[in-house]
Amino acid sequence: MSDLATASTASSPIATIPGVAVVLVLLSALFAMVAPGFLSAANLSNVLVQSTILLMIALPMTLIIMTEGLDLSVGAVLTLASVVLALTVVATGSFILSLATALAVGLAFGVLNGFLVAWMAIPPFVATLGTLGAAQGLALIVSDGQSVVGVPPSIQFIYSGKVSGVPMPIVLGGAAYLFFHILLYHTRFGTYVPALGGNREALKLAGVSDRGMLIAVYGLGGIMAGVAAMLLTARMNAGHPTAALGMEFDAIAAVAVGGTSFERGNGWLFGTLLGVFAVGILRNGLNLMAVPSSAQVACIGVLVILALYIDSLRSSS
Amino acid sequence: MSLAHEFTGSAGARLKSGSGNGVPLLELRSISKSFPGVQALDDVSFAVWPGEVHMLLGENGAGKSSLMKVLCGAYTANGGEFYFKGERVEMRGPADARTLGIAVIFQEFSLVPYLDIAQNIFLGREFPGVLPGTIDRQRIRDEARRVLDQIGFDIDPRTPVHKLGIAQQQMVEIAKALSQDARILVMDEPTAALSDREIERLFVIVRKLQADGVAIIYISHRMAEVFELGDRITVLRDGRKVGSVLPSETTPDELVRLMVGRSVDTSYGRHFCEKPGEIVLDVQNATAANGISDVNLTVRSGEIVGLCGLVGSGRTEVARAIFGADRIASGQIHVFGDLRKGAPDVAVRQGLAFIPESRKTQGLALLRSVGDNLLVAGLNKLFPDGVFRKTVARRTADEMVRRLRIATPSTRQIVNFLSGGNQQKVVIGKWLTTGARLFIIDEPTRGIDVGAKAEIFALIDGLVQDGAAVLMISSEQSEIVHVCDRAYVMREGRIVGELAREELTEENILRLGMHHV
Repeated sequence: MSDLATASTASSPIATIPGVAVVLVLLSALFAMVAPGFLSAANLSNVLVQSTILLMIALPMTLIIMTEGLDLSVGAVLTLASVVLALTVVATGSFILSLATALAVGLAFGVLNGFLVAWMAIPPFVATLGTLGAAQGLALIVSDGQSVVGVPPSIQFIYSGKVSGVPMPIVLGGAAYLFFHILLYHTRFGTYVPALGGNREALKLAGVSDRGMLIAVYGLGGIMAGVAAMLLTARMNAGHPTAALGMEFDAIAAVAVGGTSFERGNGWLFGTLLGVFAVGILRNGLNLMAVPSSAQVACIGVLVILALYIDSLRSSS
Repeated sequence: MSLAHEFTGSAGARLKSGSGNGVPLLELRSISKSFPGVQALDDVSFAVWPGEVHMLLGENGAGKSSLMKVLCGAYTANGGEFYFKGERVEMRGPADARTLGIAVIFQEFSLVPYLDIAQNIFLGREFPGVLPGTIDRQRIRDEARRVLDQIGFDIDPRTPVHKLGIAQQQMVEIAKALSQDARILVMDEPTAALSDREIERLFVIVRKLQADGVAIIYISHRMAEVFELGDRITVLRDGRKVGSVLPSETTPDELVRLMVGRSVDTSYGRHFCEKPGEIVLDVQNATAANGISDVNLTVRSGEIVGLCGLVGSGRTEVARAIFGADRIASGQIHVFGDLRKGAPDVAVRQGLAFIPESRKTQGLALLRSVGDNLLVAGLNKLFPDGVFRKTVARRTADEMVRRLRIATPSTRQIVNFLSGGNQQKVVIGKWLTTGARLFIIDEPTRGIDVGAKAEIFALIDGLVQDGAAVLMISSEQSEIVHVCDRAYVMREGRIVGELAREELTEENILRLGMHHV
């Protein structure tokens, strides 16, 4: 009898095609026609590799937004972690120590965000706007406003290396996605994330510490900013105090394009993956067409509106 | 009382195991709870036996919620004792309540919309999986299935809760309580938002739980279900218990007298309309995508016209179409002789007012003052040049508070702190400032206690005596019967009958509105 019940009500987000999938197909088709070399294997692999930094911060952003929160500081924290990583490796020559420092910087800011939101009851928008300023300012102070150069070229392995022929960023990105999938759908922690956004009172009544959960979620976002900082530093072979400025925009856009709602804990991790690809393809295609970066930001804005418009059409019909 | 009639067959065959005999499962003796300046509960004693449905009645503010909070451990009583199966127990917090097997189902559900049914039932009590931190989703589902079967709720436990209707969410709440081995279930107005058919299903489950020996404390506003389900009735007023009676030994009138401490005239003193005036609302063959089809109705000035039928029969949709909140695909609507078209802002200029069914989410800005709420709809009329003048605003709001006899310390009071009845007066008052002459009122008395109902109806009666017209939607058939000059009955988006004053009885409304009778 459970078979019967299963068949009748099993629901999948794929059952109706989400806006992000439509947008992804449209974008690919468009660039295949107008952007020279878009469909080449080298370029497609390039899109995947370039998307991984964004993926690293978009995955935890999905969880944060599911708690009805937001992290505006992620781009600045990523930048700060990258600068600190570069400074540490230049000063000490130790990769292990410098990578750990990057993670620690990210974690510290993430926990601070969580503390401000959970204990001080500051709205996430304002709290993380504050830490955005703090992290950005610190990045400029410690680097003296200059690029931190002199990073040993061997760090590039993190970004340009290959494992059994697979580019390192793709390995790391795949591992991160898998980790977040298991975390969100197969652990207690993940079960409580939609509850934080959907009904915090219910979670409290169930005996779960909602504040502790919030700190963990924001803290995770910080750690992942540290991970992204490793990729970014390896990619540039330097630390630059404005390198990831505004990256929170791409991350929030990718999550929104992917169909995660800003209300009631309604999130979709696979949608975020597609959203990251959509943003990545858009940036890549526009780069191939030599569209300036500022105009690319405008295009991402249009992308967000288009994907959400398709979703709203679907839910109203 | 029609509901009661329908169910008497099954009620007769009901199993009454040990009701009122032997040792009570839970007994409260002389419970008191006071807050600075307020005596919320005063010497309340109360007992419930296994397999018994104990009805708890009282007006808003009578102490029902306080008693519930004491029962679930959210409040600690200042005085009094708890006995469980005859033994004295302590009740210091939610953990103690849980140990005793007391579960409370509040009106605001404690469900997470984007988790599935199984995850919600076991929220915070997930079965661990193989790896540390992981959960055994299959086991959670299987256990949920078992609990759902127990109450006969046939649904895939993997269904996300946001896809469920209110009635189904309530079933999940009940399942959640049972999964925690609840032996005493407290339900707060569980039928408030349910349709008749859903109520029927809920009653079946309540009886099943009862047969399993669960004790149920059931808070209700509806007289019909009190007699339908109750094995014992306790009435609270002003924090005190004013009576504990058996349904067979009392009458609805007596209960109302106990609740309000005086007798309330349920005819609401309507001055029925002898000579209706001009047709002010004329709906012709209206069909809309929202589900209404070929609707014809008229309302004349001086009339209160009822629009009834089961929940979901299209009543609210007709109101939305008239007001311009939903577009009509074909047909015509005239108000005061003019063609009604365009969005609600045009409707307001044409003299329409729409008082929606949910006053908290659709009718009021809950955290703003009484004055702000009263003036918000009439700002254009009061200040046509766009300049807000405080003295005019204050004078208008004060006058409205006096005219509607809204019980509030001042117009600056935040509207959320008013009682339901007074909030509803503010919603009506808000439209009086626009100079509206045609009022569409959806569920005017939802969640309002008996005493305040009479005042709301007196207010509506005053409106039509002044020559306004009212189209009133209500699920409470007795209200339609006692208040309306005539009524239309809807079923499945269509108007299936019109009942003149003489034919207006609950039986006739039900006969037309139900599908197979």
